[in-house]
Amino acid sequence: MENPEQLLRKGVHHEALKQGAVKAVLGGMAWGVVLIALLIFGRICWDGAPVLLKPEFPFVDTAFLTEKTETLHVFDDASGTRHSLPASEYHGWVEKHGAESIFNETTYSYSGGGIAGPIVGTALLTLLSIVLALFFGVSAAIYLSEYAKDGAFIRWVRLAILNLAGVPSIVFGLFGFAVFVLAAPVFTDTPSERSLLAIPLGFTWFSFQGWNSSLIAGSATLACMILPVIITASEESLKAVPQGFREASLALGATRWHTIRKCVLPFALPGILTSSILSLARAAGETAPIMFTVAVAAKDDFPWEGATGPLGVLQSQVQALPYHIYTLAARIPSSDYTQRAQYGSVFVFLLMIFLFSTVSIILRNRVRSKLKW
Amino acid sequence: MPDSPTPTSVPADHPFRRKGRSTDGLFRAFFAGNAGLTIVILVLIIVFLVREGAGFFPDYRKELVLYRKAGLEFVDLSRKDLTAHEQMSSLLNRAYYAQVNAACRTEFQRSQEVSAVISYVSDAVAPAQSALERVQERAGEEGVPKELQDSLSAKYKELLAAALAGKPGEGLPPTPHLSSEERRQLLSELEARDPLSSDDPPLVVALQEQLSAKQEQASAPLADFRAAIDAFADASLDLDTLVAETGDTVKATKEAATLHEIEIEKRATLLKAAASAKTEEAKAQFETEARESVTTEPVEFKTALQPVLDRTPDFKAANAALAAALAEVQRKLPASLEDPKAGRYLSAFRKAAGEYERELSDTVPAMAAWKHDAPVGLGSTIMGFITGRDWITGGEWQDFYGIVPLFTGSLLIAVIALSLAIPLGVGAAIYTNQLAGPGEQKFIKPTIEFLQAIPSVVLGFLGIAVLGTILQETSMKDAFSWVPGFPIQQRLNMFTAGCLLGLMAIPTIFSLSEDALNNVPSAFAEASDALGASKLQTIFRVVLPAAISGILAAVLLGLGRVIGETMVVLLVAGNRIEIPDFTEGLGVFFQPAHTLTGIIAQELGEVPFGSVHYRALFVVGMILFAIVLSINWTAQRLLHKFRIGHD
Repeated sequence: MENPEQLLRKGVHHEALKQGAVKAVLGGMAWGVVLIALLIFGRICWDGAPVLLKPEFPFVDTAFLTEKTETLHVFDDASGTRHSLPASEYHGWVEKHGAESIFNETTYSYSGGGIAGPIVGTALLTLLSIVLALFFGVSAAIYLSEYAKDGAFIRWVRLAILNLAGVPSIVFGLFGFAVFVLAAPVFTDTPSERSLLAIPLGFTWFSFQGWNSSLIAGSATLACMILPVIITASEESLKAVPQGFREASLALGATRWHTIRKCVLPFALPGILTSSILSLARAAGETAPIMFTVAVAAKDDFPWEGATGPLGVLQSQVQALPYHIYTLAARIPSSDYTQRAQYGSVFVFLLMIFLFSTVSIILRNRVRSKLKW
Repeated sequence: MPDSPTPTSVPADHPFRRKGRSTDGLFRAFFAGNAGLTIVILVLIIVFLVREGAGFFPDYRKELVLYRKAGLEFVDLSRKDLTAHEQMSSLLNRAYYAQVNAACRTEFQRSQEVSAVISYVSDAVAPAQSALERVQERAGEEGVPKELQDSLSAKYKELLAAALAGKPGEGLPPTPHLSSEERRQLLSELEARDPLSSDDPPLVVALQEQLSAKQEQASAPLADFRAAIDAFADASLDLDTLVAETGDTVKATKEAATLHEIEIEKRATLLKAAASAKTEEAKAQFETEARESVTTEPVEFKTALQPVLDRTPDFKAANAALAAALAEVQRKLPASLEDPKAGRYLSAFRKAAGEYERELSDTVPAMAAWKHDAPVGLGSTIMGFITGRDWITGGEWQDFYGIVPLFTGSLLIAVIALSLAIPLGVGAAIYTNQLAGPGEQKFIKPTIEFLQAIPSVVLGFLGIAVLGTILQETSMKDAFSWVPGFPIQQRLNMFTAGCLLGLMAIPTIFSLSEDALNNVPSAFAEASDALGASKLQTIFRVVLPAAISGILAAVLLGLGRVIGETMVVLLVAGNRIEIPDFTEGLGVFFQPAHTLTGIIAQELGEVPFGSVHYRALFVVGMILFAIVLSINWTAQRLLHKFRIGHD
């Protein structure tokens, strides 16, 4: 008969081996995912960074960020040298050398120049949508956290928030197209034929004919999409404010609104703002909702050029970075000449998103450690 | 104390008084209204999806009625036999070529590698070479100026040297099937090539000769098979011409009917305008226009269809000929083919042949029983949408809206994505939560969460630019030729899309599973430890079962995200609207497909407002909405129902 102690030790050894194997497999999975993530970042940085950065001062190629998108012309001249020029320079070249000295010409749409248009468009879109979403979202959160008592209404609201959070982005695109682009109300002198309902006001018409494809329609769609995230985050921040603050204020005779304004919101605001930066990143990154509501592939001027006042800006279509990347990836053939525009845009875009995310995470941690009750 | 103020004696002008109770109710109502906004948005989504989509079925039904009345359906009865015949002969052809190519695989690869090298070098020297050719052409009598010739030649040499050294772009393509000596020979031949000649280097010619010799050798024993295939392919010619001729007739009928309808509609609009016209003059104008607007006679479907119906005997004869050809080719087929892939195609043909025979024999009775005025029910229209196997739009013949190909595509991609994301996501969560040290946790968690922040369009772009190419190049390698579906035909396919979507689902599954594991009360693990269980036993027998509902919910939410994702599938899935060919076995995953989300994103921008196609896209949106919501709802139910450690 074997020594029981030996048996035990054998079992332990066996067990340790098994544990090591399982740990290695699971660890391999976890680190594998991390490795894939790092590979993705690495690949984009490897190909994208050279577009944006340059070895000498100031290290950033501002031309790529400040020039408008142009068509890229690739051609040989008479002496067999290959040129690749964006449209504006190309026309200058043609004037100087004459059209007959151009051979083997190919053009690549949207691949020349910079990406100022898409950057501006995305900035406007995100800004507008986050303002809309913050206004409505924080108000809704105040109701949920400060006023509401459990009841049928509140249950419906919570169900709606939960469901809205799960709606696919393309369905938001359909919704934005059907509601904001085609059916939202406007004041107009000549109601369009497809207007759902036109109410005469004497001097003008109040017609439900939509805002067309415009900045405001796209922002409203994006705002609807990030609304549930903002409501949930804001409610959490509001709930984190100690109950004692409210009680003390109410005990002093303040009204509920006064209490909220002076004793709850100021303490919840940092939390609300930091978590809303995260939804900013989401709003900036979505493509499907803006495809039919605002985005255009090519536009020669900035939204404020040729627009009449701030209302004109709201009614203009814009380029947007995610849509620009989609256009570059899907609509034009990939070649050595398009890589600069493609990887450059992706790099800038990713940099932007990560800036938002990192800032939000750092701020969140600081707020958490600072505002502790 | 009499002089201390009581709560009721707040001065009348104190801010607490001024902002008193009367306005508080307003504020409350304002905030409640904003909370209600979420319900309004959800209701608006549903209402507008239904509003735009609801008109689809009646409109589609109208189209189908015309399809039947004009006789297009009658012709399609035979056309479907033709399509099936085409597929059958393509199966045979694939078997044949698989067999032939298997025999000369190496030669084929060698010749391909060589042409890749040559096209790479020609691309690199193209500017100088075309300039040289140009000056040569224009030179005329007196010849090219020596200076120009020299400078261009120098440039050509320079570019050639750079290309041969592998400098521009990606570098010289690899040639794993050529010996290093052959590669050197190829490069030196390229170097010595006259810039103006278009002849291939001798090595290329030699390789091509080798290839064609081998092909000939391989196809010699298959000559009978080849003849049988050709005979079978030719057997459809009669039916082909017949279908084309009758097709023209019925299409003309349909067009006439459509035109007439448009004119009638126009007249109705004009008459309406006349009724509401302000002046007598305008009214008279509208009425004349209305009278003139209808220029065509209503179509007599029955008489228009008669010449087509009269050819039924011809159809019968052609059908019989096809059936005979099918029986004939089955007799002549080789019993088996050596190459496993070719063998699979052959057995797929044999399996399909029985089915096709039945279909052929069903066609004639179906044609006899067909009536142009049988009604099309709304129910059958809806069924046609749900079970329809074709999504054909913008065609001249007839548009069909069948959701099956889109649904299959979405489903297969989701299967690939989840089969990658579930093990990786859950495994990583278990490791991070239970086994990893705090230092590792601090690194793994944020990195995976950062993965979630990558916008889908960026992943889609990477799929096109990087992953698709890498997968295809890997699949070309000999070492992987045993994998079903390899080598991959299309760079963009369901597998590529599935991989990327899996990557998107991993963070969702990871963080929610991690939460679920975290929520298991520590007493569970402590009790298990105290009883002497090992670490693994504690994890897999105690903690994991306790968290399983949360993990299931995480998987479901990941599934919801995968099904609803648009940009990745639009960019990477290949966008071929067809039911994938399941005869390929597991290789089915490497075919391109289209999806529910992708079709909306791709086509909504192009369809006219209010058309049947436009409405069809909204119906697809409705279905998508319903699917994703029910998945999310189930996940939420799971989370709430089986929560452990909370009341």
